[in-house]
Amino acid sequence: MDIQFAGEHLLPGRIGQFFIVLSFGTSLIALISYYFATVTKDKLDLSWHNLARFAYRLNLFAVIGIGVCLFYIIYSHYFEYHYAYAHSSKTLPVYYIISCFWEGQEGSFWLWTFWQGVLGCILIVKAKSWENSVMTVISLSQFFLTTMLLGVEILGVKIGSSPFILLRQAIDIPIFSRADYLSLIQDGNGLNPLLQNYWMVIHPPTLFLGFASMVVPFSYGIAALWQKRYSDWVKPALPWALFAVMVLGTGIIMGSFWAYEALNFGGFWAWDPVENASIIPWLTLIAGVHVMIAYKNSGHSYFTAIFLIIISFILVLYASFLTRSGILGDTSVHAFTDLGMSGQLLIYMFAFIILATVLIIINWKKLPITKKDEDTYSREFWLFIGAIVLVVSCIQIIATTSIPVYNKIFGASIAPPINVIQHYNKWQIAFAFAIATISAFSQFLKYKKTDVRKFLISLGVSFVMAILLTAIVVYITQIYQNVMYVLMTWAAIFSILCNARLLGDAFKGKWKLSGSAVAHIGFAFILIGALIAAANNKVISTNNTGIGFGDEFAKNNNPRENIILYKNEPTKMAEYTVTYLGDSTSGVNTYYRVNYKVINPEGKVKENFNLYPNAQQNAKMKQIIASPDTKHYLLHDVYTHVSSVPLKEDEHDDHEGHSDDENYQKPIIHEVSVGDTVRFRQGFLVVKSINKDATIKDIPLTKGDVAIGMNLEIEANNAKFKAEPIFLIKGNTKVDFGKKVDEAGLKLRFTNILPEKDKLELTVYEKPKEDKRDWIVLKAITFPYINLFWGGTIIMIIGFLLSIFRRAKDVKTA
Amino acid sequence: MKKSSIIGMIIIAIAIGVIVSTYADSSTYGSFSEAKETQKELHIVGKLNKSKEMVYNPQQDANYFSFYMIDNKGKECKVEFTGTKPQDFEKSEQIVLTGQMSGGSFQANKILMKCPSKYTQDKIEVTEFKANKQANI
Repeated sequence: MDIQFAGEHLLPGRIGQFFIVLSFGTSLIALISYYFATVTKDKLDLSWHNLARFAYRLNLFAVIGIGVCLFYIIYSHYFEYHYAYAHSSKTLPVYYIISCFWEGQEGSFWLWTFWQGVLGCILIVKAKSWENSVMTVISLSQFFLTTMLLGVEILGVKIGSSPFILLRQAIDIPIFSRADYLSLIQDGNGLNPLLQNYWMVIHPPTLFLGFASMVVPFSYGIAALWQKRYSDWVKPALPWALFAVMVLGTGIIMGSFWAYEALNFGGFWAWDPVENASIIPWLTLIAGVHVMIAYKNSGHSYFTAIFLIIISFILVLYASFLTRSGILGDTSVHAFTDLGMSGQLLIYMFAFIILATVLIIINWKKLPITKKDEDTYSREFWLFIGAIVLVVSCIQIIATTSIPVYNKIFGASIAPPINVIQHYNKWQIAFAFAIATISAFSQFLKYKKTDVRKFLISLGVSFVMAILLTAIVVYITQIYQNVMYVLMTWAAIFSILCNARLLGDAFKGKWKLSGSAVAHIGFAFILIGALIAAANNKVISTNNTGIGFGDEFAKNNNPRENIILYKNEPTKMAEYTVTYLGDSTSGVNTYYRVNYKVINPEGKVKENFNLYPNAQQNAKMKQIIASPDTKHYLLHDVYTHVSSVPLKEDEHDDHEGHSDDENYQKPIIHEVSVGDTVRFRQGFLVVKSINKDATIKDIPLTKGDVAIGMNLEIEANNAKFKAEPIFLIKGNTKVDFGKKVDEAGLKLRFTNILPEKDKLELTVYEKPKEDKRDWIVLKAITFPYINLFWGGTIIMIIGFLLSIFRRAKDVKTA
Repeated sequence: MKKSSIIGMIIIAIAIGVIVSTYADSSTYGSFSEAKETQKELHIVGKLNKSKEMVYNPQQDANYFSFYMIDNKGKECKVEFTGTKPQDFEKSEQIVLTGQMSGGSFQANKILMKCPSKYTQDKIEVTEFKANKQANI
């Protein structure tokens, strides 16, 4: 029986699903017609070519249509759609609706498809003689991507996952048999609070533009093999490869900045498998760019270049397999959950691996691979070596990141290294040292042959200067604990000096190499910044007052990195005097005001600032999500987040079975007369007098009613308070009206009159000791020189931009 | 010999180094009984025993958290962790610990938990308008 469901908006979903099918169909048509346009003998017959262009453009239109429909559904809060229900809520600000898009897998696939569509349309205009062959490969990739969104079952196999699936189709529970089920669903699940950050609005689009643009150099490489235009693909592919490296690099660092600013794992890079998955193709593509330049200028390293460009895109596919198949579940904190599409992702990846391998094997004999050896003092040789070092560094990252994959394939149960960060660092610092050194001296080498004497002389000055500067830097930043740190600092400084000299020449008119010089300087700064900030960050919130542990335990375990702060009680933390001053709530976030002061020995306040680390308290989920706050100095950062706070919910909970008295300790009953003193834990109170004419708000007293107030004077925490609990006899019933003195943590009730003893009964409720003061548990870390890391990134991006302009100009003038 | 063959050999040497190092650094998934017999640090997968008490008392020590976990082989052990209690710990479905045994309890230095997060699970919260009651399905 069909049920007519009330209040559903099915039209936007149907239009969206239509666009999905349209995008799938058009990508297939574009693929087929670009293929025939490429292989057709009659070069004047443009019918396939024109059809292909039309199909590809229509494809982009359809993809945009999908996005518009999805946005409309989320924006209108149509929770009958699973995607809107699972990823948004009514309280979400409009600008975060964009982030909802890529919280789910479907949305992030859409983003990738969209960028690939845009890039394809740019290539249609720009690629000229390469268009047909390059676009065939891109259409093939677009075809695979659009299947990810299809969400249809063919022969019992589910292909893709549609974002337009209805909630009642996605989940099978009884309420969906009710025609009015929608009126029961008032709000969506909401967006993960961690993604409610402005960096999350721009980080994923940048990252996916980077991933998507890697298909372009790959397609040029494949097209070159296919069309047997072995050499001339390098020139047009080079600006695209640089573009992909720049955008992906920017996206990765944005993610790192987001982690640093919004997550509480205390750093900017954690060697998490998801981070590794994005940096692996970045490293191989950088290596690829360098050997492409080497090949272009010297004819050497042809195979390395085409291999690296192809493998980079394959690794993008491998990365999306890792992050989207759920295989990383045990080793990573932020991988996607499995949507049952891992098989599809593997087909996508293996299709391209097989395609590339077959083409390389067929063309192997004809590839322009030189038999000559490079000269040791030539630039092409060292570009090649640099690329190889990058590749080896990549192999190391892949080897460890893929541990869950081996486990899956071989049924093993190997666990990742206990100290992951140390494991990666010990290798990667050595590789970084080699890369930085090569990027320094190879700038003074020339292609083919270099005058060795001249080379060594110009190098010598920078070499010695770098040693002197390293000594100074190492002394100031205190990183002399490890020889490798010192060596790496030296290599980075050496690279900065050498590239700066090159830049100096650029100002004298040799503009050609300025892009690479600037990018290398930026990269060297990133290395120094990351090294110093990672090696010498210090947890300043160390706490040594804990009980229950012996010194022996403290020696063997990590230092106690969290400290408890009571409200208004200053605590010394390194050079800071830190005080928790209170909290305030704004929206879902509670901001904890923490004051930092630096007081010099004379007692003068040198620095004084407040940080507001926040936590989203989710009473329903009984959890907090803490976000840090950071004080940025030019030379270091003070980073702070709360690691534990008292949960707020219980104070308001007044439902059945619970009473306010549960917040207090067991009451103590005292029998008192006027003038008596009653002691309690925090102080004492005195019964001052009896008020026979007490009045009670809102309760009119009639004749015969008796209302008696007990005037109390309370002294607690060096302050005096007054309270007047009231005892009332109304008709036959006895009622009493207690008074709370929150400042003293008391509740006082005048519970009875005992005429036979001539006493009054006073019941004292006192709050338990723990609750008397507000507290937070805080972690604080200083990151020295982290601005070198961010600053270096900006310099590197500028360098890439300069290089892209130069290489794009080469294409035009060619 | 050609330079490229020398380079090739160096790469192979480093690659072997990488694989050996990955293998040497890698740890194993084990159980509490295995942890008792070794001094090595290892990973233990298990579930929180919700019926036993969890101790986290920041007023006494902000860096001490203890609880009981049952490993995949069904053995229970007390776990001590130098740090704060992860906030939604009670809700965890699965816990992965790294650390070693010391004097009858397992000293964890890292806790990774899997939670049935509301952001990944299809759990629908229905609000009945009139009765003003909340029910979870």
